[in-house]
Amino acid sequence: MTRTPHLVPPPRPPSRRTLLRWGAFGGAGVALGPLSACAGPTGAPGPGTLTLGLNRSLVSLDNKLNQFEAAVTVQRAVRQALTRIGPGLRPQLVLADRFEMTEPTTWTVRLREGVCYSDGSPVTVDDVATALRMYGKVPGSFLLGLFPELPAVEATGERTFFLRTRRPVPGLDRLMSNIHITPAKANRPEELRSGLGSGPYRVVRANSGAGEYTLARNTRYWGGRPSVDTVRVRFVPEESSRVVALRSGELDVVDTLTPDSAEQLTGLPGVTVQEISGARMCQLFYNFRKPEGHPLADARVRQALTYAIDGTALVRDVLTGTAEEARGVVPLALQGAVPTGTYAFDPGRARRLLRSLGAEDLRIKVIWESGEFAGDTSVMEAVLDMLQDVGVRASLQQFEPGGDILKWRQGRGGDWDVIGNGYSSPTGQALTMLQGMYGGTAEKDRTGDAFMGYVIPRIERRLSAAATEVDDSERERRLAAVQHAVWDTWPSLWAFAPKTLLARRDRVRGLALQPINSYDLTAVRLEG
Amino acid sequence: MTTAVSAGRPSAVTARDLARATATSQRRGARFKLWAGAVCTALVVLPVALAGVLPLPGANAQDLSRRRLPPLSEGHLFGTDQLGRDLLSRVLHGGQVSLAVGVLAVLVSGLIGIAAGSAAGFFGGWVDAVVSRFLEAQLALPLLMMLLLVVALFGPSVTVITCVIAIAQWPEVARLTRSLVLVEREKPYVAAARVLGLRSWSVLARHVIPNVVRPASLVVLLLLAQAVLLESALSYLGAGPQRPFATWGRIISDGQDYITTSWWLVTLPGLVIAVLVVGVNLLGDGLRDRTRPRSRKGA
Amino acid sequence: MPTYLARRIGQSVLTVFLTLTTVFLLVRLAPGDPASAYAAPNATSADLARIREQFGLDDPLIVQYGLFLRDLFTGDLGTSYSFHSPALDVVLDRIPYTVTLAVSAIAVTTLVAVPLGVWMARRADTRRELGANVLTIAGQSMPDFWTGVMLLTVFAVVLPVLPASGFTSWSGLVLPTATVAVLQLALVSRLVRREMTTALASSYITVARSRGVRESALTWRYALANSAVPLVTALGTRFAALLNGVVVVEVVFGWPGVGSLVVRALETRDYPLIQATVLVTATLAILVQLLVDLAYPLLDPRVRLGKAA
Repeated sequence: MTRTPHLVPPPRPPSRRTLLRWGAFGGAGVALGPLSACAGPTGAPGPGTLTLGLNRSLVSLDNKLNQFEAAVTVQRAVRQALTRIGPGLRPQLVLADRFEMTEPTTWTVRLREGVCYSDGSPVTVDDVATALRMYGKVPGSFLLGLFPELPAVEATGERTFFLRTRRPVPGLDRLMSNIHITPAKANRPEELRSGLGSGPYRVVRANSGAGEYTLARNTRYWGGRPSVDTVRVRFVPEESSRVVALRSGELDVVDTLTPDSAEQLTGLPGVTVQEISGARMCQLFYNFRKPEGHPLADARVRQALTYAIDGTALVRDVLTGTAEEARGVVPLALQGAVPTGTYAFDPGRARRLLRSLGAEDLRIKVIWESGEFAGDTSVMEAVLDMLQDVGVRASLQQFEPGGDILKWRQGRGGDWDVIGNGYSSPTGQALTMLQGMYGGTAEKDRTGDAFMGYVIPRIERRLSAAATEVDDSERERRLAAVQHAVWDTWPSLWAFAPKTLLARRDRVRGLALQPINSYDLTAVRLEG
Repeated sequence: MTTAVSAGRPSAVTARDLARATATSQRRGARFKLWAGAVCTALVVLPVALAGVLPLPGANAQDLSRRRLPPLSEGHLFGTDQLGRDLLSRVLHGGQVSLAVGVLAVLVSGLIGIAAGSAAGFFGGWVDAVVSRFLEAQLALPLLMMLLLVVALFGPSVTVITCVIAIAQWPEVARLTRSLVLVEREKPYVAAARVLGLRSWSVLARHVIPNVVRPASLVVLLLLAQAVLLESALSYLGAGPQRPFATWGRIISDGQDYITTSWWLVTLPGLVIAVLVVGVNLLGDGLRDRTRPRSRKGA
Repeated sequence: MPTYLARRIGQSVLTVFLTLTTVFLLVRLAPGDPASAYAAPNATSADLARIREQFGLDDPLIVQYGLFLRDLFTGDLGTSYSFHSPALDVVLDRIPYTVTLAVSAIAVTTLVAVPLGVWMARRADTRRELGANVLTIAGQSMPDFWTGVMLLTVFAVVLPVLPASGFTSWSGLVLPTATVAVLQLALVSRLVRREMTTALASSYITVARSRGVRESALTWRYALANSAVPLVTALGTRFAALLNGVVVVEVVFGWPGVGSLVVRALETRDYPLIQATVLVTATLAILVQLLVDLAYPLLDPRVRLGKAA
């Protein structure tokens, strides 16, 4: 049997790279390099080809380090996990056909009969164990931060094993949807640039520098045959270009739309905009490292300031209806989230309260990183204006990605009062997000690791009690109570849950967008 | 040189010949450029200078209920932007910074350029070698990238951006000054000044530089045009003063997200930049044509 | 000739090296932390410390520089923080796009600007020439990002005939090329005009004309050939500058070249990627300049390399 290369870009004329490596730069041959690699006489995709336009560069089809939501769609088409987050944010089985909590700290898992990689070799228990070990060794991984602890694999048969943890991890079936399985031999504690997957597609061409990939149907796929033959992934950084390219039919699907692009695309012939409540929370979070006696250390001042913000106008005019004003401390689409209160707009009351609390000449510095959430700059400029309207002397400081904002967040940069921040829950659980934001302890904050300095011991205690509770209904009840307690500390000046937005050409059918901003490529069909 | 034909003397040269002469049409061309340039420049510079006095809404005054109104509606000549701010007011206030940065940058680069260039030309030797290497090295550097890097290094304040643009532009002045000084220092008055016992520095400062400043300053307007473009490119790429401050490049890069629905957000600010820069370039060009009327014949 | 070549190459290597050193120091002096750009938003301080250690970011600058030099001589430019793969590979994935755009832009500029400049020289100081002159100045005066967005609006939005972004077909090359060419047109056409005016007024043309050489041959074969050296110099310089980054145009059109790459690398403080980009583009640019110099004797037999320099 001939081994076809998977995930490995097909051999190119060696001349280009070799020549360049040896310093013989230049020449027409170089210029022609990408042209021969560029398919298609026109920009429009062919009848059997689905073209996706991502706004962030997909640098790899491995998810150990790069984790942005839209990438998940593509990564999972090539590599699969034991489970996935399915419709309604419920876990679904993929490579496993059994995944059950048999004891508080032990899960019993069985691999599906006949699951194999695109070269025909079977998926083994050892591959799972190795994958977990490799993910554990990658420093700075987003996924690792989601796991309270990584489970240990204990093989019990050829296809069966236990996943054991020291303390109960109730959402392990969801968490494991992030661990992509690849053959043990080829797995390494770094982002893999090539290798096999068990998914419905395999990579036929990859240019990770330019973020362009071509996927073809995996003929040996163990599951149902996907309907689309070829998927092309393109990196289109300018939002305006994505809108234009979708209009002209150059792209079939653009995900993670900004409010403005959604507005521009809505109602265009041949284009459908899909939206669903999102699993992301965007907040104007207060700085909780203010010294005792500072106005912002007082929950009443934090509450008073919220009356300055006209949330309705922000949602309607700035976010063009593509977000929901927060009614809880985490997005209500998440499992376990409960409504806890609402924001009200009453500038007169804000002024009065601020005056009575002796905080009328408050200065507020709002910081955020460009692109933290869609429409960030407009929201910030609008909020600035609203704060100034109630007499608060507000200023903005925008950071570029890679700037020092992390240092500021950790209280080691400069002084700030409010930060614009977006927080996602790739597991679809309220608990993960609550722990991440409100589970700070004094010990964690010694290194600046409590989220924005939010250290309130009574809340942290109740959260960790809920986290290890094995009984589902009791856990839900405790979580609901703790969410109310968090709301009463007024952690945010304002918050909203952006809807997950995607626009597609009408010929694309069967695309089921999920709150985690991803969809199953196998279900997508092309018509016409 | 054009010699005037006095009316009293008989001549075969008719008025028609004169009108068709190259010199005349050159003068006409230069005059046209000067006029057109002055008009274009004034069209932008005057409103920008008077932005504070004109009856306009504030540059940062928002009205979320009046977002993205097209031009000429409800008293908004240029329309409003994505937050309901008056676009004309933003363009004019942003222009104050762009112009101030441009003028200051040209002054600074002019000073550095003339000092370094004349020193290199006059003293030669190691001074010349050092200055020339600097000039060469700067040509090899990826300019815009270095500028972005320096702005990242010191923060995007107006001072930093001014200095950055000045640094980008001094080689042009320096090279021109150096070549002018090389010619000038061989002239007899320099030798005379030396014979009189003046030290080199004072010869350079008191006699040579005054003679080269005028021709060197001709490039100033062209540099100003470049400086305005460079400033807007930097702020387009995100290296501009903190929000909500309006700068020309930022207004355009923000407006780019709306090109399918709100054409004016990009078109009008860009048009203002283009009119200004065309004006300044034409002025500079016209001045050059006029002061060097025979340059085309010479090598 | 060989000594000349050796000296030029030596100078070039030195320039590239100094450029690289400058960039190495500047990026590290700038505020910002590559580790935080590399790490996930929920990374802890311990994570960051581990990443910094992995990349050797805590070492003294001089140690970092030493290691950088050592790796440089083995052809290793480090691993890009944001691409998680060798920085040189990322740049090499992208450089062909930039070269393509630069070649195409220079070709179009030459094809338009040379005939235009010749025409301007022959019609010098007429009204129409003045008009053409003013038009090229206008082209040069428009901010390139604005020209790009305007072309995009017209040809991709209003009349959707050309792709808006990226390079998936040849038609994607049209708008970026046009944007770059509009900027270069004024410079090159004026140069041609100036050189041609001088050449057409010189005595050898008068002699040739008196011997009955056709006017078209006079213009193209005699006068233009004599303007070749300055013209090629100017085009070479422009080309080299384009290789160093058509930053803005690449950003506007989502062109997957090194210009848009470097903007992103700067934002994320991706030191190895910045260094690799600078190394590759500076080398290319200098190589082009060298080739131009070497072409002089071919263009003008009177030129002897190394004599004048």
